[in-house]
Amino acid sequence: MSKKNIVLKSSNGIIFEVEEAVALQSETIPYMIEDDCANDTIPLANVTGDILALVIEYCKKHVVVADGDGGGSSSSSQEDLKNWDAQFMNDLDQSKIFNLLLAADFLNIKTLFDLTCQFVADTMIKGKSVEEVRRTLNIEKDYTSEEEAKARQENEWAFK
Amino acid sequence: MEMSSKTRAEEPSTDPPPVIPELPEDIIVDILARAPRCYYPTLSLVSKYIKSLVSSTEIYSRQSSLGCTEHCLYVVLYDIDNSVNRCYILRRKANGNSRLVLVPSLSSLPCGKRFVVLGSRIYVVGRMKNYCTLIAKSNVLTIDCRSHTVQHLPGVRIPYTANENLADIIDGRIYIVGYFDLKKVMVRLVVMAGKIYMRNSKNSFVYEPGEGIWKMDEKLSLEMWKDACVVDEVLYYYNWVKRSIRTYDPNERCWGVLKGMEEFLQERSGWLEIEMVSYGGRLGLVFLEGEEKSRKIWCAEVSLERRQGGEIWGKVEWCDHVLTGNFSIMKPLDVMV
Repeated sequence: MSKKNIVLKSSNGIIFEVEEAVALQSETIPYMIEDDCANDTIPLANVTGDILALVIEYCKKHVVVADGDGGGSSSSSQEDLKNWDAQFMNDLDQSKIFNLLLAADFLNIKTLFDLTCQFVADTMIKGKSVEEVRRTLNIEKDYTSEEEAKARQENEWAFK
Repeated sequence: MEMSSKTRAEEPSTDPPPVIPELPEDIIVDILARAPRCYYPTLSLVSKYIKSLVSSTEIYSRQSSLGCTEHCLYVVLYDIDNSVNRCYILRRKANGNSRLVLVPSLSSLPCGKRFVVLGSRIYVVGRMKNYCTLIAKSNVLTIDCRSHTVQHLPGVRIPYTANENLADIIDGRIYIVGYFDLKKVMVRLVVMAGKIYMRNSKNSFVYEPGEGIWKMDEKLSLEMWKDACVVDEVLYYYNWVKRSIRTYDPNERCWGVLKGMEEFLQERSGWLEIEMVSYGGRLGLVFLEGEEKSRKIWCAEVSLERRQGGEIWGKVEWCDHVLTGNFSIMKPLDVMV
């Protein structure tokens, strides 16, 4: 039962050593190992240290449950995991959330990508007004007032 | 968050400004696809770029692959003043209220009730008086509900019969029933458990694809069901005399009444037309009441529960006045988009 460790290096040079099972939740990392991108450490040029720390925190939490079928009720651990995920996302500021989303996309960690996308949809789109969506997502209004009036007319039913 | 924001008013609109900073379009679509569709009207006002994304076909295919397709209620209404069928969509507003909204590209559809749904498409079969230009090529139309475009199905011509064709779907195949004998007018058709059930002015018949013969179904013949729909292999129709929703279970071969609806139905005894539809495992009701010219169309969604002993209970989840006008209800359709 020897556990193999993998060394990851963030874009700003911070080194993380993690168990192989933790790292392999990323579908990108195995290719990097195969490609022998590095001798010992795998450089992740797109992910900064603080974000990589979050990714690893997430993967560690999820790897425990993934092979933890030895005992306990799996449904309750699923429930715990859901709560943990919610808390994990809630503690992040917006900049971290978007960077985490990019990292999950680059590292191809499907569950983390889904979680983050859904969190953005739920907290920054659902129940928000047009202005609020623009503000929270930092989107510039590119409509002229005539164009906006026309678009509003097309969707008039929704605003009555 | 960093954001390169500058005024872009003079730039051509072909080059959309970066939105949701630093995110590639692919990921933005992934986020938008996870937002409930009732927020799309709001989103489409946020910016031109977001509008182009939420109205793209790509967002629908993304939702399909995520398994977040939604049941969407389409209602074909006959516009009495203009003698034409028009297609409306039930839209839930973000505040929870509902409304029927005209689909501009589907505002002139063939007459009759011969509309069936397969996935995200609506098919219109048979005679098409209003569609002379298309009729030469085909008399089956297909409406893609993701893009709201109408096409004819190439090379498919349904033979004309003396009366309207009736159609429904079994296992992804459209079955079309025509009839010539005016004395035995077939007036209703539903599909239950892979069999076609039809009724004329006197009796009900069952047809099993593959067997090729119609057999009389005596139990089903006991009631003059019409405008029926089937949810979870149980037939539902509104009985105007008893003012109740009747149920027929083809396995038990027995008739019953949908319980728990008495108060709701009593309050709405003034309605003039009602059509029902299986709407995502629930019973969708579309009904019409009021004076000529300013008729009110209502929609309601009823959840169904089968209790011990076989009784079926209904609970009205919501009921809204969704449109006013001079209409007749043709057909409600549950489309997956």
